[in-house]
Amino acid sequence: MSSRRSHSRHSSASRITEEEINELVSKLQMMLPDAPIRRNSRVSARKVLQETCSYIRSLHQEVDDLSEKLSELLASTDTDSAEAAILRSLLMQ
Amino acid sequence: MHVTKEFKKKTFLKQFLLGLHVSNSISNPISIQQRKNSIKLSADLAMAFARGRTHWTHALITKLGQKEENKSTLKGILGRRYEILMARYSCPLLYQKVQRRKKSVRSYRFSYNAQKRRSSALKGSCVRVSPSVVARNLENRRTKVLKRLVPGGELLNGSALLSEALDYVISLKAQVDMMKSLWRATQVSSSSNVELVPSAPLQKKDASCTIANSEE
Repeated sequence: MSSRRSHSRHSSASRITEEEINELVSKLQMMLPDAPIRRNSRVSARKVLQETCSYIRSLHQEVDDLSEKLSELLASTDTDSAEAAILRSLLMQ
Repeated sequence: MHVTKEFKKKTFLKQFLLGLHVSNSISNPISIQQRKNSIKLSADLAMAFARGRTHWTHALITKLGQKEENKSTLKGILGRRYEILMARYSCPLLYQKVQRRKKSVRSYRFSYNAQKRRSSALKGSCVRVSPSVVARNLENRRTKVLKRLVPGGELLNGSALLSEALDYVISLKAQVDMMKSLWRATQVSSSSNVELVPSAPLQKKDASCTIANSEE
């Protein structure tokens, strides 16, 4: 399946336009935490790639920290109140 | 994209809560570290389930299922579905292929370039490598890190990699937000435990209202 994919990539490489890539890059740029309003001018794709990578890393780190916090919290409180809190937050979503 | 996000919240919560419950109810006293890993696993699994079927979710679930230390938690979360899901999401060959492919692509390109160099050296002209190869080399160098960060990214290129990365970032952000709000809710309840637990329904409502307000 992956070989087929690479095959089609070879043949359709010309079909993937600059426009598509630029659009994706600008979307990525908008997702990044730095104010996109500031960046009226186009930031280089390379910069966007770098910042995306560091953003993904920081998000991974946040998940890690939150998992640790939740782990400590669940260890200290008893199950019932924890699950009650969780249910409460469910109802509020 | 909004529809996807709405979908995501409920599915994520359901799945994550299940995972938390499993992580919490592991009977023998486990370390905080182990529970943390179990929670992280639950979160990632929930995120993948909430997003649906994309390249990166498939790769992520495959990766999670392959680790030996995850198996017991996964079995707890998935129950009867474990066997079925692991059959669907086990492509060890895929990743082996990637490893092999990586090596072979590199060596192929190297030998291709070397050949070109050799042949053009004989002709006495400068190196003539096709521009598409140059472009691809440059692109691969620039996206090397991104490929490693996005699950399943090693297999993608160009716009596919970028769109997967975009999707992945959006889902990650949503995952973090959900975990944060859950943590806050759990924190509030644990700190004001004494007042809330006796079931005066009015009190509970007030508490939930304030929490809702602070969330907004």
